[in-house]
Amino acid sequence: MTPEELFALTGPPALLGWAILILAPRRWPLLNVVPQVVIPLGFAVLYTGLILANFAATGGGFGTLAAVRLLFNSDWMLVAGWVHYLAFDMAVGAWLALRMDRAGIGRLVQAPLLVLTFLFGPVGFLLSLLCEGTLRLVPSRQSQV
Amino acid sequence: MQSLTFSSEAPRPLMVLTAVSVALATMTLIWSFADPRLIDGVPVWAKPMKFAISLIVFFGTLALLDARLSPAWRDGRLLRGTTVVMATAMVFEMAYIIFMAARGEASHFNQSTPFTQAMYGLMGLGATLLVVGVAVYGVAAWRDTWADLGPALRMGVAVGFVGSTVLTLITALTLSAMSGHFIGTPGPDAATIPLLGWSAAVGDLRPSHFLALHMMQALPLAGLMFDRLGWSSRAVLVTAAAYAVITMAVYAQALAGMPLIRL
Repeated sequence: MTPEELFALTGPPALLGWAILILAPRRWPLLNVVPQVVIPLGFAVLYTGLILANFAATGGGFGTLAAVRLLFNSDWMLVAGWVHYLAFDMAVGAWLALRMDRAGIGRLVQAPLLVLTFLFGPVGFLLSLLCEGTLRLVPSRQSQV
Repeated sequence: MQSLTFSSEAPRPLMVLTAVSVALATMTLIWSFADPRLIDGVPVWAKPMKFAISLIVFFGTLALLDARLSPAWRDGRLLRGTTVVMATAMVFEMAYIIFMAARGEASHFNQSTPFTQAMYGLMGLGATLLVVGVAVYGVAAWRDTWADLGPALRMGVAVGFVGSTVLTLITALTLSAMSGHFIGTPGPDAATIPLLGWSAAVGDLRPSHFLALHMMQALPLAGLMFDRLGWSSRAVLVTAAAYAVITMAVYAQALAGMPLIRL
């Protein structure tokens, strides 16, 4: 298998997990555990294998930007880095979805925030938490009625 | 895993939309520190920021009214449906405005490709839906006899919301019929009004658009004050008429090619 072929294989599970997170109902725990745990765990297994097998050979490291660039000179490491994004973005997305459910943020508003987390992880993380935090500042009138 | 039931403590959808607008405004503030690019001499993040701030006020106003409506009305099919439509329009508008600004391109008045033309048209539709939603809430405030509204405040909300919708549609339709918001061509260093960016050299339709939009805050505030003072709700009608006349005068001034204030 080439790095390119492996990369192509990571797309469908990522799309499946995000589709469940963004579109599927939240009332079936067995379905929701797929993006929460199953797919990120699968990516974690893949990442672990890739990183252990390829890290040392690159001669790179985390100390300088040049060392990081050296890491990603290897296509296998590039795929590993990509899988890292996929794994953590989805795990964070699932956590954000849970938090937003608890905060009472509707699915219509959750959808674009989760799409942002899918595409640009930290941007969606930032906006979701800002949105939830702002709601916490507002005293709930509902409980008085 | 925590329980996902929260029915009694769930925030009102309009409050959620206000919070999303706060989050977006914060994001544009972060953006402003990182991005020096300009579109037509204006920072790329300025329009997303102005829209986000404007939406905070917009949905915040609707949320304040929503909290005073009776459960039968605010949880009724009409207002819930209206809110879903407004939420969809808001998400679409902000997504496209941010997307285009991040690409360093104009979102409004952009006729450069079939895609941007179609999207500019859809933005007009989205904005219209947002504005018409305000009128629906205004009518609901008038009809909802159990709403927690004093007579002048009720009048202020009804007249202010419906009036805002009508005046906004007039100014926005004029804007959409033109190729830009200026009447005349400001020079490269022409003066603008600080923060708002309106031209202080040539006619600019945005001041009247601003006044039209914010009639939905001005009139309810006037009504609230008149209730406190014990004035009749007729005072609201007089205020509304004066406000509409001023808005149309500012609109006519812009069409005549004159700036709001010459600097």
